[in-house]
Amino acid sequence: MKRVSFTLTAAATVASLLIASAASAEPITVISWGGSYGAAQDNALFNDASKNSGIEIVRESGASVSKACLQVQSNAVTWDLFVTGSGGGAAAAADGCLEEIDFDVVDVSDFYPNTYTKHCIGSDVFATVMAWNTEKYGAPGSDGAPKNWADFWDVEKFPGTRAYRANNVDGALEPALMADGVPAEQVYEVLSTREGMERAINKIRELKPHIAVFWDSGAMQAQLMKDNEVDMSTGWNGRFDNAAKDGAMVGYTFDQALLDYDCFAIPKGAPNKDTAMKFLAEVSKAEYQANLPFHITYGPTNKKAYEITTAPKELIEALPSHPKNVPMMLPVSLDWYAENRKEALELYMEMLSE
Amino acid sequence: MTVVADNTATNANALIRQRRREEWSVLSLAIPAALIIAFVVLLPVGWLFYLSFIGDDGQGTLEHYRKMIEYKSYYRVFITTFKVSILTTLICLALGYPLAYFLAQLPPRWAGFFMLAVLLPFWTSLLVRTYAWLVLLQRKGLLNEFAIDIGLWETPVKLVHNLTGTLIGMAHIMLPFLVLPLYNAMKKIDRDLMHAAANLGARPINAFWQIYFPLTMPGLVAGSLIVFVLCLGFYVTPAVLGGGRVVMVSTQITSILENQFNWGAASSLGVVLLVATIAVLFIAGRVFKLESALFGKG
Amino acid sequence: MQNDTALPIQISGLTKQYGDLYALNRVDLTVKSGEFLTLLGPSGSGKTTLLMAIAGFNRPDCGSIRFGDTEMILTPPHRRDVGMVFQSYALFPHMTVAENIGFPLKLRKVPPAVRTKKIEDALETVQLSGLGHRNIDQLSGGQRQRVALARAFVFAPRILLMDEPLSALDKKLRERMQIELKQLHRKLGVTTVYVTHDQREALTMSDRIAVINHGELIQVDNPEGIYNAPANEFVADFIGESTILPLQQSNGSLYYESQVVCPTPETNSSTYSLVIRPERLSLQKPDNADLLVFNGTVKESVYQGETVFVLITLDDSNEISVRYGTNAVSSTSQLEPDTRVDTFLRLSDVIVIPGTGQ
Repeated sequence: MKRVSFTLTAAATVASLLIASAASAEPITVISWGGSYGAAQDNALFNDASKNSGIEIVRESGASVSKACLQVQSNAVTWDLFVTGSGGGAAAAADGCLEEIDFDVVDVSDFYPNTYTKHCIGSDVFATVMAWNTEKYGAPGSDGAPKNWADFWDVEKFPGTRAYRANNVDGALEPALMADGVPAEQVYEVLSTREGMERAINKIRELKPHIAVFWDSGAMQAQLMKDNEVDMSTGWNGRFDNAAKDGAMVGYTFDQALLDYDCFAIPKGAPNKDTAMKFLAEVSKAEYQANLPFHITYGPTNKKAYEITTAPKELIEALPSHPKNVPMMLPVSLDWYAENRKEALELYMEMLSE
Repeated sequence: MTVVADNTATNANALIRQRRREEWSVLSLAIPAALIIAFVVLLPVGWLFYLSFIGDDGQGTLEHYRKMIEYKSYYRVFITTFKVSILTTLICLALGYPLAYFLAQLPPRWAGFFMLAVLLPFWTSLLVRTYAWLVLLQRKGLLNEFAIDIGLWETPVKLVHNLTGTLIGMAHIMLPFLVLPLYNAMKKIDRDLMHAAANLGARPINAFWQIYFPLTMPGLVAGSLIVFVLCLGFYVTPAVLGGGRVVMVSTQITSILENQFNWGAASSLGVVLLVATIAVLFIAGRVFKLESALFGKG
Repeated sequence: MQNDTALPIQISGLTKQYGDLYALNRVDLTVKSGEFLTLLGPSGSGKTTLLMAIAGFNRPDCGSIRFGDTEMILTPPHRRDVGMVFQSYALFPHMTVAENIGFPLKLRKVPPAVRTKKIEDALETVQLSGLGHRNIDQLSGGQRQRVALARAFVFAPRILLMDEPLSALDKKLRERMQIELKQLHRKLGVTTVYVTHDQREALTMSDRIAVINHGELIQVDNPEGIYNAPANEFVADFIGESTILPLQQSNGSLYYESQVVCPTPETNSSTYSLVIRPERLSLQKPDNADLLVFNGTVKESVYQGETVFVLITLDDSNEISVRYGTNAVSSTSQLEPDTRVDTFLRLSDVIVIPGTGQ
């Protein structure tokens, strides 16, 4: 009996302490992705922003729009802030899963246009690029190295294995059309018809025998190049840079790459919506984004970050959103995805299952 | 006899009451299990059925099932799922039968040791085992490097990120599920039966096919069904070792949820897989007299 | 169904060693053509090892097993063509009665019509007509025994082996089956080797009994010979009930308590013992016979229906057990404990064995 009552007292004490601390400042739950991306955000954004704002955060991995939507639909939201691709964010917003951003709290006046929406605030700018084994095909820019998507498709000039996107159509069709000779600025126009989509799908179908692996995460892109499992892969530029830092023989080009951005969103009915909004305002400040290039080669969405960053020139010029690089790339059209993603995904999955 | 039938006989009513009480107390032991099954199995499955008939607009619809017929990818995914499950089961049979036979012939102490070796994988995480295969089988993996070193083949052979790798990984993980019931069935076979067969004139091969093999059928069927059904819903190994080329129902469901947020479509796939699994069990039950296979003959 | 091709079995020098232990130690044994020979011994004596060696299930270390003129020692079991009834019956549980019996016929490519006929005949012989379609688990123990038997002889083997086939049956059924087996043997005329640890069964059924212990053959003789002239104390003790008393030796004769038993036998032994079968002793002094008289006190007596079993402490403090027919006992008070009693044994019923009794 004595032991039981002691345990109860202890539990009660702990519980009251918890309630007390919660009342003062409840920590918010922030969800990002695994691998080098989450680590970069921790080091560049979250840790310092949390310290400076006094907002405690609980950091978890495994962010996914579908999980966020499930939480919203089942009225069991535990996330306060999560990371998503721009396309996923737009889709979640359309499904009514996201809180609207309070632009009185979050200051986007210094943001590049098209790096935020009513529901999402861009966190970084990245590019979907073609990467290759530099030992096999040469360093980027060197003679004989692959230069554009046509080379990615050219298995005679560049014999070897390829990796391509699994499960998801985001960024999968545009390269195929460019490889098929469609100029970058006409890609989305062509893709707006069923025939255009099928043209892209057929182009991928043509390459399929040489696609050894279909990747389904950024960590996998890096791993495939590191393990020398494939010779060429599509993927996100920062992942390849970090793989190269780990010793992988990998290089890539921004030529014909897809310019896209990741963003933060708050699920509808988040338990600490207001605190999350304040934290979002904090991490969106240029002072934090200026640190991001040190950890992953993703560019800031906040223009001012370029002005105040202490990163060396080579590093800055390697960022996808650097003015030198942007003109080489095709900016991803959120409008096209909002309109056609479902149909394109069905077609893409159809092709994958063959 | 008349005395017993007469309820006024000494203590007759009291004894009947006591018997009923005992029957109830035994029944009540099953109540927690029944409740757990109701909440953990039946409710979610019911919810799954419900969701599969709900469209994006929240109205009842058959759209998800119609799409399954319309798009060939769903059909192919089911074909792949059954193909992988059948092949895995066959590989497990080919490897597991001789293995179980070997174990059954060993003296108990050695059998225990080897059985431990068979079961050891059970105690390592599924993910770890699967990635271990990836490391072994990939292009610059241990196996390819070794085979090229000793001159077995010259260019790397594609062992993973395809059907081959998926089958290797799945067979490895599923093998114990087949070996255990098979070993059990083999252990139960009286050694005299094999002596009798030989004595009656059966050559060893005849004795095996006509006596030993039929007697291992219950274990064989039980083990194969367990493996087959587990394979049907397997996710991790085909996802990791299939390299996106082996799309099974489970992978498809995840992909639909992750990328389309379409609960209805995912649920309808789940429902079809569930129905297919039940159908397989039902047919197997009819063909092999499943009760006796699973619970043994009295 | 008379089997004209019954074969004799000739075993010589058969030895099987497990580590330091001899399961069979240079066994020489001839089973005559058509004979019913029983291997009798306690468990672990080597009798089953010997039977298994004949069937070909274990490989002896050396020696010879011949069926007729053919050396079989290297022949695998499935080519020995001997029928065998196992202690566990070893019926195939996934086959019906008819399929079990038909199994050896099928292997011998007997045409189906002939097979059916032979199965029916065999079932009739073991009195199971009409049960061919039954599953094995629908049969009683006695019926299974009969099926096992039918399966063992249906293919007309030249030799039939039986390994304690009746040990799983209850007493009554066992005794009935003993007689049936005997009749069947007579009908088939097949050379039969039968293993049992039950001496009564051995005495009931055998043409000859081979007593085996510690892997060695002790005595091979017909039942009367084994019972009336045991070769040594082991046989005397193992077969039938007996009291064994030490004998004194003097002037070329053997004495028990100064009563002359018989002249010293020709066997070369320094000591001899007297074997007394309890049923050979009587309470009444027989007329016109040379007798041994035992004086003592009743220690315990047990009424057992047809006989009364009595334990008597002799005046020389030895104990003997006696079995009287109940009709020979005039009143039960005659055998109350502590009553003095004299019992008589005809000299013609005396059994003398070499060695000293306890």
